[in-house]
Amino acid sequence: MNRLHPFTAISEALGRAASGLMLPLAAVTVLSESVDAVETSWLLVLAPLGVLSGLAYGVAHYYRFGYELTDETFDVTSGVFSRQAREIPYRRIQNVDVRQGMVQRLLGLAVVELETAGGGDTEATLEYVSKAEADRIQREVRRLTAEVDADGDRSAPSPEAEPTADADASTAADASTAADAPTDAADSGRSRPARTLLFELELRELVLYAATALRPGTAILPVFLLAFVSDEGGLLPGFVLELSAALLIGSIVVPWALATALLSAAMTVTQYYGFRLGREGNDFVYERGLVERHSGSIPVEKVQSVTITDNPLQRLLGYAGLWVETAGYGPGDSSASESTVPFAAESRVYGFAERITGLERPQFTSLPTLARRRYLARYAILAAVLVAAAYGVAQVSGLERWYLAAVAFAAAPPAAHLKWTNMGYAVCEDHLVVRRGFWKRRTTVIPYYRIQTLTTRRSLFQRRLGLASVVVDTASSATFSWSAPTIENVALEDARAVHDTGRDRLQTALHERDRDDERSGAFADRQ
Amino acid sequence: MEALHPRIRLFWIAKGAIGAIVLGVGLAAADRWITDVPLAAIAAVVAVGFGLGIAYAVRLYRVWQYEIQPDALYLERGVVTFVETSVPFVRVQHVDTQFGPIERALGLSSVVVYTAGSRNADVRIPGLTPDRARDLQDTLRKLAVESEADDGV
Repeated sequence: MNRLHPFTAISEALGRAASGLMLPLAAVTVLSESVDAVETSWLLVLAPLGVLSGLAYGVAHYYRFGYELTDETFDVTSGVFSRQAREIPYRRIQNVDVRQGMVQRLLGLAVVELETAGGGDTEATLEYVSKAEADRIQREVRRLTAEVDADGDRSAPSPEAEPTADADASTAADASTAADAPTDAADSGRSRPARTLLFELELRELVLYAATALRPGTAILPVFLLAFVSDEGGLLPGFVLELSAALLIGSIVVPWALATALLSAAMTVTQYYGFRLGREGNDFVYERGLVERHSGSIPVEKVQSVTITDNPLQRLLGYAGLWVETAGYGPGDSSASESTVPFAAESRVYGFAERITGLERPQFTSLPTLARRRYLARYAILAAVLVAAAYGVAQVSGLERWYLAAVAFAAAPPAAHLKWTNMGYAVCEDHLVVRRGFWKRRTTVIPYYRIQTLTTRRSLFQRRLGLASVVVDTASSATFSWSAPTIENVALEDARAVHDTGRDRLQTALHERDRDDERSGAFADRQ
Repeated sequence: MEALHPRIRLFWIAKGAIGAIVLGVGLAAADRWITDVPLAAIAAVVAVGFGLGIAYAVRLYRVWQYEIQPDALYLERGVVTFVETSVPFVRVQHVDTQFGPIERALGLSSVVVYTAGSRNADVRIPGLTPDRARDLQDTLRKLAVESEADDGV
């Protein structure tokens, strides 16, 4: 059994000691107010006792925590009073991530997180190990996973068995670095597979990305800041309030927009500074981050679906991002998917998608014009609601010209059209491609063999128009935050056709795939 | 295609009735504490609720169908939104039989099929006799195991 880095004991002990101090402090202060028997002088005994037991617990915790890499499982034992022993089979591990905060970087420490499918939580967290040890674990787990995968009833991975294996070959071929040997899991044996650098985010791209990746979340913070600034009074001259409404709006909206953009850009830069993606054997490995450094590995075989995202600004510049979704949870990313290539020229992004999934650039089928009518109706209703709301406000607040809200109706047709033109789907040889969304457009590539369930749904209105929507469910955990890929509002017969094609191709794909590949399916194991 | 057991209508009607009663109690509470709601209006709302519940149950029973196809479990259901779902056997993780208190009183149970999918993951077939439910569970489990060699996520 291996221990964590000794620093863990110190930080753990200090943390526990702090809570050991706080607990009696808070309890005694509160209780002494209400219960006569309790006196504050007890603290003289209780506080040191709390600190000491906290320290002891922290140290004990460190000594009772062990991990080990066996041939088949990753074992973790932990717990001071109640003991826990956990064995994670390698083939269930979806990704291995290494995280380094600023302090940890200075001390040469790192946190290792092992993700498996299914759970809401990280399956095992090693906090902290030395950076070298973290790298070793990451490497070893990947090697052992590949070995377990290769140990099935096939001796060597056959390239035609699986699109991802194809991608392997093409990656090696495409890589300009000829020195890198082709990296097959079976070939690598005991030695460490060579790393091929696939992508590096250049400074120019990072800046462009920061400028175009607008985060809606950051729009809220400046509001607080502004509220704070204007409350203080001194910072915002009084006459500003007396200026015309336009100036007032200018003085709030412009700084707000600027602050939002800057914050958003700063967040993007800290998150993706020094982004690098490579390939090692059957894994994608990436690293990123300015302050907190993340590095992780994504096994190619665990990829559920690939999503290409872009917003109108990025489309204008011809850039896009690529996200790889596994069944495990992504580190630090609430979206639970890995940004494989956060930002690159669109053609490069499609190139990556091709390497990962074997996708050829799809020909999208657009939706019937009836669908556009539905969106028009939907947005018109939304506009009507807005006007009604304005009217309602006018009744209570004396707002004049509430009818000006009717301009919302003018926005409905272009909005409906934009939504409609940006939607589409493609039924390819090995993949189903679903595209939706105007502002944040997502093009999701789903290999047929990743389909979990298929659902055709028709609401009352859709039935009247002869339309239907097809929901394609995969085990990708990204669908927890992003909605499941849905082909919306297609003609019923087309929906049925997609549904049936998906089903049939899933069966064919499963038959074609090498049995051994299936064994690697972590999630298939009974949980 | 196989229909559900006719008694499931009683289950749905009971659910609708509970909803209508809750609505009625809510309105009565509003009458008591917030604003005047005529008793007739409450009665009318509850009656309409009952009526809709019955109509819904009857309609839902008529559309609810399921079938074990060669490669997948296929279901059709839904009154307002009509839904057709295919669950390939290879994707079946495990199969449960379940029943709530009302179902139990009616002598019915449900089969719930779990997949690794993240949305629409649980597929429930209600309104089965306990025997049929166990039977279906066994069948699905067998079919899932048979096709399991091909499985992967």
